[in-house]
Amino acid sequence: MTSVLVKDVSLNFGPVEVLKALNLDVAEGEFIVLLGPSGCGKSTLLNCIAGLLDVTDGQIFINGKNVTWEEPKDRGIGMVFQSYALYPQMTVRGNLSFGLKNAGVARDEIDKRIARTAEILQIEPLLDRKPSQLSGGQRQRVAIGRALVRDVDVFLFDEPLSNLDAKLRSELRVEIKRLHQRLANTMIYVTHDQIEALTLADRIAVMKGGVIQQLDAPQAIYNRPVNRFVAGFIGSPGMNFIEGKLETDSNPTFKAGDVSVPLGRYPFDNGVGSRGAVLGVRPEHIAFGQGATSLPFSQHVEVEIVEPMGSDTLVWTKFGGQNVAFRVESEKPLTVGERVVIGFDPARASLFDDADGNRL
Amino acid sequence: MSTDAATVTKRAASNGSATVVEPRGAKPRQLSPGRIGVYAFLLVSALFFLVPLYIMIITSLKGMPEIRLGHLFNLPAEPTVQPWIDAWFNACTGRDCKGLSPGFLNSVKITVPSVIISIVCASINGYALTYWPYKGANLLFGLLVFGAFVPYQVVIYPLIIGLSSVGLFASLPGIIIVHTIFGMPILTLLFRNFYAALPPELFKAARVDGAGFWGVFFRIMLPMSVPITVVAVILQVTGIWNDFLFGVVFAGRPNWPMTVQLNNIVNTTTGVREYNVNMAATILTAAVPLLIYFISGRWFVRGIAAGAVKG
Repeated sequence: MTSVLVKDVSLNFGPVEVLKALNLDVAEGEFIVLLGPSGCGKSTLLNCIAGLLDVTDGQIFINGKNVTWEEPKDRGIGMVFQSYALYPQMTVRGNLSFGLKNAGVARDEIDKRIARTAEILQIEPLLDRKPSQLSGGQRQRVAIGRALVRDVDVFLFDEPLSNLDAKLRSELRVEIKRLHQRLANTMIYVTHDQIEALTLADRIAVMKGGVIQQLDAPQAIYNRPVNRFVAGFIGSPGMNFIEGKLETDSNPTFKAGDVSVPLGRYPFDNGVGSRGAVLGVRPEHIAFGQGATSLPFSQHVEVEIVEPMGSDTLVWTKFGGQNVAFRVESEKPLTVGERVVIGFDPARASLFDDADGNRL
Repeated sequence: MSTDAATVTKRAASNGSATVVEPRGAKPRQLSPGRIGVYAFLLVSALFFLVPLYIMIITSLKGMPEIRLGHLFNLPAEPTVQPWIDAWFNACTGRDCKGLSPGFLNSVKITVPSVIISIVCASINGYALTYWPYKGANLLFGLLVFGAFVPYQVVIYPLIIGLSSVGLFASLPGIIIVHTIFGMPILTLLFRNFYAALPPELFKAARVDGAGFWGVFFRIMLPMSVPITVVAVILQVTGIWNDFLFGVVFAGRPNWPMTVQLNNIVNTTTGVREYNVNMAATILTAAVPLLIYFISGRWFVRGIAAGAVKG
């Protein structure tokens, strides 16, 4: 069943088109992550769903009801903001009860809901403190509680973890995931952090320029990006892009400089002819040494730069005259100038059209 | 810097002193010639502004015979508070000889409502302009700020016509309205900038929580506005208390504020010019703003800075 339906929504700020006829269908209980660089319109879309921004065109449905003209409070949503946005002059209890009081909920019902929320988020000892007396993690927990206490069907998160340090971020990330499993609410989560997106989402919507580029499960987005933008945005370290030519005369082959990669195993999307193309290979998909020779494609290269990153090491080399990075276990000692053999399976690579950047 | 340090070390070494201090902990403070210059300048400027105040105070404590001797800087030989009592109760403004006290009361009657009304209006203005932008809000704000640059004298005559046509000219409500209007540009600017500097998510969160225009204003924004409200109170109290022009034009004779009465006392030309009474009356009139500055100078500076930086 559909929980949130965004239908042909456009939003213009004056002459600037922020959202362009955007469609999004979120199933009940689904965890959707809106992912994209800053300025791609992901927060704007979330604000439109929340009713904090009026759309220029299109409709928004929540639980089958057209809420396009509804006030935020009548949409059945709870929202968590990046800057916490706790009311500074109220205690935690006051923050949690503010929305309920506005809605005219009875006093004992308010107390009951606050107790339940505090128990879920483990903020019982903090209830009588002011936000200024809380740490960042505690504040964000209270902010989540403020959405939780309203007993809504849809949760909206606007980069909720971006203000926290790395350790706290990963802790709260797990907690949000646990919360989702426990409550089974629909959650729409905006972030620019691909790790958050990949770990939390049932489906990820990668956005750019007010348009959803790809809406798919995290694995599909990672393995089969629909265009060069999505491919480059997901994955860390980023995907290698090798510019060259696709030749489909006999066996499909990718040629870049003096290298030619046989693409017999590559799953082409549609009948494609010869053209300029870009081959995308993830650094973690490039095998090295013994394992490489057994792959459909392997090549001798020279080590240029070695970047140790703790758990593994990123090695830079030249491939068909272009910079390429690959990952090796950090135990392998490599020196600059050493000649090594690397290889990859073209089936796991991505091939993009040179002109429009779409997957071939 | 490093070459300086090197030469210092070298000099110390060549002097043969065995105790070259290894830099550690807080750097020792030194009084450089530049610093001394700054302090000297500050001292001179302070004196420049304090000498008139000093003369005013000692003159107000002298009797007229002593003043006639002409020793301006001498301390009073026979200190007396009679001039202060005269200034407050007996000094003559025109034909009335009741001193400044009625003027003080008038000033309070004008200042208190004007300050309250103007701040209430301006805070709502600033809040609405920041969070509930409507069509033409920016234009309105621009016009309002432009109002801060219009010389008062230009609008006095139209205002007189306007107020007298509704029967409020030369009355207490009239002068209160005038002060409220003229406080609006700068106060709205102050409040708008303050609200604009708050995180916008706060407003969004309150909206999601179901608070409307007044709910957000009274429950969220107003409790957070204490600092800027204090600044606004200071600005308005000093501004309205010190006002002479609007008071003399719009208040009407029975409601003339203290500043107007002071002027009348000082400029009364019948008989002897009582310098001591004039000085005492002037200090009394200036006392309220001075007191406000002394009590809340810290807030005042903070508010000025807030208004200046966050544009």
